[in-house]
Amino acid sequence: MANISIRNVSKSYGALNVLRPFSLEIEDGEFVVLVGPSGCGKSTMLKILAGLEPASEGQIFIGEREVTDLSPGDRDIAMVFQNYALYPHLTVRQNIGFGLKMRGTDKAELDRRVDDAARILEVTPYLDRKPKDLSGGQRQRVALGRAIVRQPQAFLMDEPLSNLDAKLRVHMRAEIGALHKRIGVTTVYVTHDQVEAMTMADRVVIMQGGIIQQIAAPDELFNNPANLFVAGFIGSPGMNFLNADLTAGRLTAFGQQMELTRAANHHGPVIVGVRPEHLTLNDAPVTFGVRPTLVESLGSEKYVYFDTEGARIADGEDGKTKGLIARVSHSGPLPRQEELRLGFDPAHLYLFDARTGARL
Amino acid sequence: MKRSFAQSLALYATVIFTLAMILFPVYWLLVTALSTTNELYRLPPTFWPADPQWGIFARVWAAKPILLWLWNSMLAAVGSVALSMLVSVSAGYALSRYSMRGGATMGLFVLTAKMLPATLLVIPLFSIFSSFGLIGSLWTLVLAHSTMIIPFATWMLKGYFDTIPKELEQAAMVDGCSPIGAMVRVVLPIATPGLAATALYAFVLSWADYAYARTFLVNSPDNWTANLGITTMQGEYVTYWNDISAASVFIAVPIIAIYLFLERYLVGGLTAGAEK
Repeated sequence: MANISIRNVSKSYGALNVLRPFSLEIEDGEFVVLVGPSGCGKSTMLKILAGLEPASEGQIFIGEREVTDLSPGDRDIAMVFQNYALYPHLTVRQNIGFGLKMRGTDKAELDRRVDDAARILEVTPYLDRKPKDLSGGQRQRVALGRAIVRQPQAFLMDEPLSNLDAKLRVHMRAEIGALHKRIGVTTVYVTHDQVEAMTMADRVVIMQGGIIQQIAAPDELFNNPANLFVAGFIGSPGMNFLNADLTAGRLTAFGQQMELTRAANHHGPVIVGVRPEHLTLNDAPVTFGVRPTLVESLGSEKYVYFDTEGARIADGEDGKTKGLIARVSHSGPLPRQEELRLGFDPAHLYLFDARTGARL
Repeated sequence: MKRSFAQSLALYATVIFTLAMILFPVYWLLVTALSTTNELYRLPPTFWPADPQWGIFARVWAAKPILLWLWNSMLAAVGSVALSMLVSVSAGYALSRYSMRGGATMGLFVLTAKMLPATLLVIPLFSIFSSFGLIGSLWTLVLAHSTMIIPFATWMLKGYFDTIPKELEQAAMVDGCSPIGAMVRVVLPIATPGLAATALYAFVLSWADYAYARTFLVNSPDNWTANLGITTMQGEYVTYWNDISAASVFIAVPIIAIYLFLERYLVGGLTAGAEK
């Protein structure tokens, strides 16, 4: 096991910069998740870390050793791929033992370690089968087995759960988490799924357009997003945004004015963010009337969709607008066409610079 | 989905018609070999000889150096397959995996060589082989057949390599293989059906050649291939078609045997399970 140090690594293809200078210190045993929308550069960074793509600039250290120019096999890392990448012509036993065989491990030691890995991942009954005879979950376990059997310095995982169905994904997510706790190997995990990022990571690196947007623990990201992108990306349903105006500490939003103690010296247009769960049906310091366009019931809570002046759709949403969302605790039926009064505490509002998207 | 009677009828009719088109010449070859000379010219023709001349095979085998011709054909074909596969596997893999400046154009350009008829290349190849003193040698066939095989084989193999996920090589490299090691240990075993199909194509192309053999080897009877040897059985005044047909049966046997041997490798689907 080792720490990983990524220093000013960038990647460009001609004039196209896919990864701006990227620096990250990963502690020994830490579970770091790189998350972001498609094309944000997260998989490119992982491939550079694995040695499968050369970096245009920068250095990478694993432990005390610089590995920037080393081939993938010399970096002492293991990688789990999105599509498992199991060798179809080899049995499960040969798949798991392939890396050890390449390193000249003697037969007895190889068998012992393959058996250990198979036992940990509960694939012992399938050791003599070919990958095509396994289910998706079993293949994923074999891919994990191939990674852990070598006892590498670090695990790199490239969206390892995205080919699994929803139920199995939740199960394997927990298994990977448990596996990490058990063997404690430094892990860099790439995903586009914020739920995976939030539930698995010690720290999350949020990326967009090849640039790191924020590096923080999951709770910190949720509570203190650095900018509009992070605020919109983290949380489900996503944060509501609306255009508003801030003058001399007075914010005009939801058709009313309110005093704010924060960002008192900012003047002009701002983007206000409020999380759906911070909008309530009960009494609140600020209330406003809405006509719901849609009410979705999840039993004990409701998603109330509504439109209001200045509403905008968060970055990273799928573009299908249903307006703003309130996630309210309410078990009875809600009248759809009648006006509801929603409210919030101004202390729960997030303010962003309308021009740069930076948090105020 | 259940087929209607009409659909089934159309399907079986098509299959039977296609099979008949393919198998009739083979059947006719056998009938010709087994018929007496008189029977061959009888009208209307007989569809199975009244007295099959099974002894013709032993007679032709004894009268002509069939084994030598087959051996020469085999040497030329095996040499052509070996040389072509060596070049095509490397070239197809490079075209499939590495993005090179002008790679796609280069690939297409390679394919245009396939569009040239073999006869167009006979004269320049003759000139080149003459200057190296190779005329009369089986090496001329190995080299000439490779010029026909390599362009198309490269494209066949590139297409096959394209279907193999790159992640398999990446996984092998992370596991400690060099790029060539990943190709040899992971890609080539998975590509066995593609390699077998390409090798079979190359073998048949070389085995079936007549034009090159006739041009480069005609004055070296010891190096005659089967196709060239058989044409010398055509007489100036009389041609014994039954003898020629019997010799042709001997030539067809190795191809059928090789096809039966490679058939198990030709079945695809080996990559199933590599990824979801």
